[in-house]
Amino acid sequence: MRAVLAAALIASSTLSAPLYAQQPFDMSGERSPDATGAPPQPPPAPAESPEAPPAAPEASPGGPLPQPAGATTGQRMFVIPSDRLSLAGETANREWTVYLTPEQAEAASKLNFGYRNSIYVAPEASTLSVFVNDTLIGEGPIQSPGDVSDKSFEIPYGLMRPGTNKIGFRAAQRHRTDCTVQSTYELWSDVVPERTFLEFDAAKMTAQPTLDDIRAVGVNALGQTRFNIVVPKLEQSATMTPLLRLSQALGMLAAMPNQVFEFSTGLPAKAEAGELTVVVGTAAELEVILPRLPDGARSGGIAAFMENPATGAPILVLTGPSWQSVESVVDNILAPVDRPPDVTRAVLATQRWTGMNTPLLTGSARLPFSALGLKSAEFSGRRFRTGFHVGIPSDFYGDAYGEARILLDAAYSRDVLPGSHIDVYVNGSIASTVPITRAGGDVLRHHPIRFTMRHFRPGANLIEIEAVLQTRADQICSPGTTASNEPRFALFDTSEFRVGDFARIAQLPNLAAVAGTGFPYGRGGETVDLIVERTDNQTLSATATLLSQLSVMAGRPIRTVPKASAAATGGNAIFVGQISQIPPVALAQTHLSEEAAKIWGTSAQSASADANTDMLDEWRQKTSSSSWQKPFAAVSEWLDRTFDISLGSLRFRPGEEAMFVPPDTANVVMAQGIGPSGGGAWLVLTAPTPEKLQSGAATLTRNANWERLSGSLTLFGIGDTPMESRPVTRVDFLPTQPFSFWNYRLIAANWLSTNILSYAVLLACLSVLLGLVTFSLLGRFGKGR
Amino acid sequence: MNRIGTVAVWAVVTLCVLTLITLPINMQTQLIASITIVALMALIKILKGEGIWRLVALALGTAIILRYVYWRSTSTLPPISQLENFIPGFLLYLAEMYSVGMLALSLFVVSMPLPPRTGRTSEVKSLPRVDVFVPSYNEDEALLANTLAAAKAMDYPADRLQVWLLDDGSTEQKRNSHKVLEAQAALARHDTLRRLCEELGVRYLTRARNEHAKAGNLNNGLAHSDGELVAVFDADHAPARDFLRETVGYFDDDPKLFLVQTPHFFLNPDPLERNLRTFEKMPSENEMFYGIIQRGLDKWNAAFFCGSAAVLSRRALKETDGFSGVSITEDCETAIALHARGWNSVYVDKPLIAGLQPATFASFIGQRSRWAQGMIQILRFRFPLFKRGLSIPQRLCYMSSTLFWFFPFPRTMFLIAPLFYLFFDLQIFTASGGEFLGYTLAYMLVNMMMQNYLYGTFRWPWISELYEYVQSVHLLPAVVSVILNPRKPTFKVTAKDESVLVSRLSEISRPFFVIFTVLFIALLVSVYRFYAEPYKADVTLVVGGWNLLNLIIAGCALGVVSERGEKSASRRVRVSRRCDFVTDGHSFPATIENVSANGARVQVYGIDRQNVGFDMDAVIRFVPYGGDEPEELPVQVRNVEGHGDLTAIGCRFTPCVARHHSLVADLIFANSNQWSDFQLARRGNPGILFGTLWFLRVALYQTSRGLVYLLRSAKPGARVAKAGEAGPGVAGEATR
Repeated sequence: MRAVLAAALIASSTLSAPLYAQQPFDMSGERSPDATGAPPQPPPAPAESPEAPPAAPEASPGGPLPQPAGATTGQRMFVIPSDRLSLAGETANREWTVYLTPEQAEAASKLNFGYRNSIYVAPEASTLSVFVNDTLIGEGPIQSPGDVSDKSFEIPYGLMRPGTNKIGFRAAQRHRTDCTVQSTYELWSDVVPERTFLEFDAAKMTAQPTLDDIRAVGVNALGQTRFNIVVPKLEQSATMTPLLRLSQALGMLAAMPNQVFEFSTGLPAKAEAGELTVVVGTAAELEVILPRLPDGARSGGIAAFMENPATGAPILVLTGPSWQSVESVVDNILAPVDRPPDVTRAVLATQRWTGMNTPLLTGSARLPFSALGLKSAEFSGRRFRTGFHVGIPSDFYGDAYGEARILLDAAYSRDVLPGSHIDVYVNGSIASTVPITRAGGDVLRHHPIRFTMRHFRPGANLIEIEAVLQTRADQICSPGTTASNEPRFALFDTSEFRVGDFARIAQLPNLAAVAGTGFPYGRGGETVDLIVERTDNQTLSATATLLSQLSVMAGRPIRTVPKASAAATGGNAIFVGQISQIPPVALAQTHLSEEAAKIWGTSAQSASADANTDMLDEWRQKTSSSSWQKPFAAVSEWLDRTFDISLGSLRFRPGEEAMFVPPDTANVVMAQGIGPSGGGAWLVLTAPTPEKLQSGAATLTRNANWERLSGSLTLFGIGDTPMESRPVTRVDFLPTQPFSFWNYRLIAANWLSTNILSYAVLLACLSVLLGLVTFSLLGRFGKGR
Repeated sequence: MNRIGTVAVWAVVTLCVLTLITLPINMQTQLIASITIVALMALIKILKGEGIWRLVALALGTAIILRYVYWRSTSTLPPISQLENFIPGFLLYLAEMYSVGMLALSLFVVSMPLPPRTGRTSEVKSLPRVDVFVPSYNEDEALLANTLAAAKAMDYPADRLQVWLLDDGSTEQKRNSHKVLEAQAALARHDTLRRLCEELGVRYLTRARNEHAKAGNLNNGLAHSDGELVAVFDADHAPARDFLRETVGYFDDDPKLFLVQTPHFFLNPDPLERNLRTFEKMPSENEMFYGIIQRGLDKWNAAFFCGSAAVLSRRALKETDGFSGVSITEDCETAIALHARGWNSVYVDKPLIAGLQPATFASFIGQRSRWAQGMIQILRFRFPLFKRGLSIPQRLCYMSSTLFWFFPFPRTMFLIAPLFYLFFDLQIFTASGGEFLGYTLAYMLVNMMMQNYLYGTFRWPWISELYEYVQSVHLLPAVVSVILNPRKPTFKVTAKDESVLVSRLSEISRPFFVIFTVLFIALLVSVYRFYAEPYKADVTLVVGGWNLLNLIIAGCALGVVSERGEKSASRRVRVSRRCDFVTDGHSFPATIENVSANGARVQVYGIDRQNVGFDMDAVIRFVPYGGDEPEELPVQVRNVEGHGDLTAIGCRFTPCVARHHSLVADLIFANSNQWSDFQLARRGNPGILFGTLWFLRVALYQTSRGLVYLLRSAKPGARVAKAGEAGPGVAGEATR
């Protein structure tokens, strides 16, 4: 096998034009389309590609778990970007996109997947459908209640395109026996990531990898994407900045939901799926570990794919005669994903896990469901659920007062009984319930559903609509009722999501904004001080993982400036390190106790005191209140539910935030605070040990966890609720918008809706003043002066 | 601080308040703000804050009401795509906004009313000559005799006072009518009244044709007289002795004064007061108008002419060629015209006349229809908001007075709104239970507190609603008709001398029973739906509660239209006056206890009851206020009872000469203080809680009474039997 699979000299001039995340990124400019051996836009092919050779024996359905060995990576590609993909309820739909190189698109022949389902799913009435680029490639009954079943669907030739391709799984599931709404929660099918992959025609996979393959890095069997960055001379501190810039470039190119960076000094011994090894160093440094260098590595900066001598897997080599030339190569890779400070995004790059990029709403907007990726649907079951994503900027400040609306175009049949309802969920929390009160069916035309924006958070938000339908037939539940195909409910894609202008001012600290759009570190034109005390592999890996995640969320690389000490920073700063390495001032500003540096992770802490309250709660539930108390309890519960006024919300000034010592169960802590000078947001990522720091950074940046970052501090550990957040007690505001009365009015509305007693007092005082002034006014006019 | 500065500061503060109120805050904040403000208002109320605190409390209430308006306008209207919900929903919204608008106008008018003027009895430089006009259309001789006698007895130099009876009931047109009966009646009336006038020393005037109704009649009077001032009294409005003394002086103070208006005080209850038996203990309906609204209007120099009990300047009236007669409420119209010409008005808050008001429900409605139609005509033809010459406060005041009469629309809307939901399942008001608590309930509570703050001693809780409801049922068609045909309504004289001798249902009571039935069915429906449809029990509870409120008011109205029979045809006035009771040449010391236009009740000391028989002639001798010598009034004994030395004798006046009428008038009308005392005795603020409880009790009782009357009237022959029963009642008139 050839030592050098491909080499592409990167000329900075060819890539100077900035491209943004949504546009296809292709670095194989010089290569002619014919190099792949196929036209770029092949004609649509029949379902079975005649050229496709028989499937590889180990990939046959029902076969053993495929070994993600290096030898097979060329033929297979895991596709599910998470460690689990569950299709729950009577109707479920999951979509995401994968990036394929032209060669992969050409060679894709089959989609294999393994799944198993709940024992309650009635196979004769339940269907699992698989879509590629919105085209159904196969469907079948859901009938794998015991073990995982493997299925394989042919991908019609030409359906896969070079670049982004959408994959969708849709399940329609019905209960075997039960007709209650409750029973629909027992319905689920899990598609198993490690058995779900695209299969390629090996014969067509001969082309050489190009830089385009960075985007096609894919995922491993757990839905993770891993970048191994091999730097023989890692200890030089001057290399940190280009390496971190490189990791951000790689992260932004791939834009996968669960990306991990790992720094090492030697080549990995094993090649894994969903992994890209990047070797960085001057030609002289690399000579030690690579038997051969790309041509011209000693004369100028170069990025080229080569073969790992140990595994034969392709590796990306970035080298040059000096670090300056390596840095210029890094800059060239970074350039197309960078975004000028004054350019705003219209979408958030979430398509790799949500199926489409999420529109970013910066103010008043109305979006038809069709533009949000929803399609009109008819439904014959009892619990219909569907959803879409909308993006909210990091300076969103409308959680307390804001209301969004859905103008619903829907219909329900005459079978649907009053008492049914349509609910709206925002990020999993219920936001509104609209009861269906009219019997005899109805067609709703732009029926407004107002719902609170309380559960909105910066970044992508999942908004779901659930229709819970009750019918007489379900109450009787004669056999076969669940299998009925008589539609009861229809949702039309002409429905609209509408949101008015909302208050926009940034709040600090706010980890949700950090998670949502990398705010404020991803703001254009500003640099971020980076304080990493010790640049060991683990700390550097954690730093790279964090920064890459931030840059993906921010849609532009974070311009970090390494600083030696906390004292040297003036503005925004990021601290990464083991807790003992974090400067005390940074701990203090993020309200981490100095004690924590000494005792966290040393088992010196006593057991949690929460056990008592848990027990008390349990006992409370066990002792039922007597019947005459029930109405009172119901009223008080209704009040609680409707108004949710706690004594805490009746305070004028927030209390002093207590210093926090992370419990021993916590593995990693991310906290944000305000710099001591009052300017700048300080972000601290820390753990008791470098190992926990590295794994903790990987855990926190997993999409499922990252989306839940909130408050001023979030920790991740072990236990029933591994992730915990501390709410912000004292907020600093940072204006992000040019002054406008309208915006400040809305800001005031939100602030007063948060500090509700202030509103009451302000209103009362102003009214009293109005009374006094009116008295004086009336005394001066009319008779009786 | 000068005036511009004050206005500027006020504008800035108002702007701040409005900005704060229009913030889209969440429900929790609203709830806490509502509770805070209601608590503050209650605190001010409990501490009996007046003066500056009154305005503070009103401002606090205004804040909550504006919050409600903001929320109601932005969040609660049904989507326009659902027309079946939107149209009634929007109508309800308009009705509510009308109510809020009227509240705003009345806040402007009465937030700081002028304190009652202290008497203006002395220091008149020169007494102007006064013509007193008593226009009459169909009132009988006895009534006119009392009024004319009282007018003649006013404390004013006789040479400077000329009383005129302006008789429109025996014009040439009527006397020469083609209908023989009408012509004969007019001729007889002409003769009788002429003679009466001669006896009383009053000038009698009639005219050729009945043109322009009351305004034309008064203008005819103006054309034949030349006094500098003109006092107008309705035929049944007898002035107290001090009427002119209390009013004329103001013309001396202000040469641009065209009007001094005084309150109308009624000796008899209106149908509601009579049927609910509240006359003695609850302030009358019109006391709210005369007790506070006119004072508020007076502050803005917008007190207007109410047709009677007022003194006007001839100089001013000349400018407008007399009284205007485009609308059927010539009084208010004349006042607008003169205010627009820069003339001023004054309101004297002291009852100086006593009159009668319609006794039956039907004539009460007839009177109100005239007022409503007239005021809407004024709105239509003299739109006060854009009337040149009026000051801005005057425009607002007149708008308040005229727009008030649109109340039948919102009242009807509030009545039927719950039915849209209960019967047709329409959702015309989109709000959750929590929002209802935080906004609507707070609004209603604050609204009641503000009403109580503004009018507490003059109007008890829920009474306004009751009055509006009982009028709306019949006023709505009248208002609609005047809107469609603004020139159609003609002046109809309200009958005030009727009496209800027999307990019966009013002839226009049927719609009230129909409405009550519908609302009662709605109540049953709401109970049924509350249990049958638990998923919207909260909405049903709110709407059902609203309907229940309507039902309570509608039930109370059943009592209003169930006319109680009364033994006495005319109302007794409680007096306490020394006199001598003379019979068979013996004189006994006595006290006049009460007196009506027809008779009196006298407590006689030391008389032998055996010697006093039924129908026996006697004489009451007393010193009239207008003279120094005791005079004698002939009476006839109707009834005797007593213990020990004191004997109560009920007797009927038997006036033979005009002077006797003057004496009766002197007994009833001469002392205006007795009316003030009577009014003050009724004024008391029961508070919202006790007022509401009291109203509930009254409503429950009146509902049952109304239903009993309905059952009775359904029984054939019941009416005949009742009529027979009533016989002795008539005979026993003036005995008790």
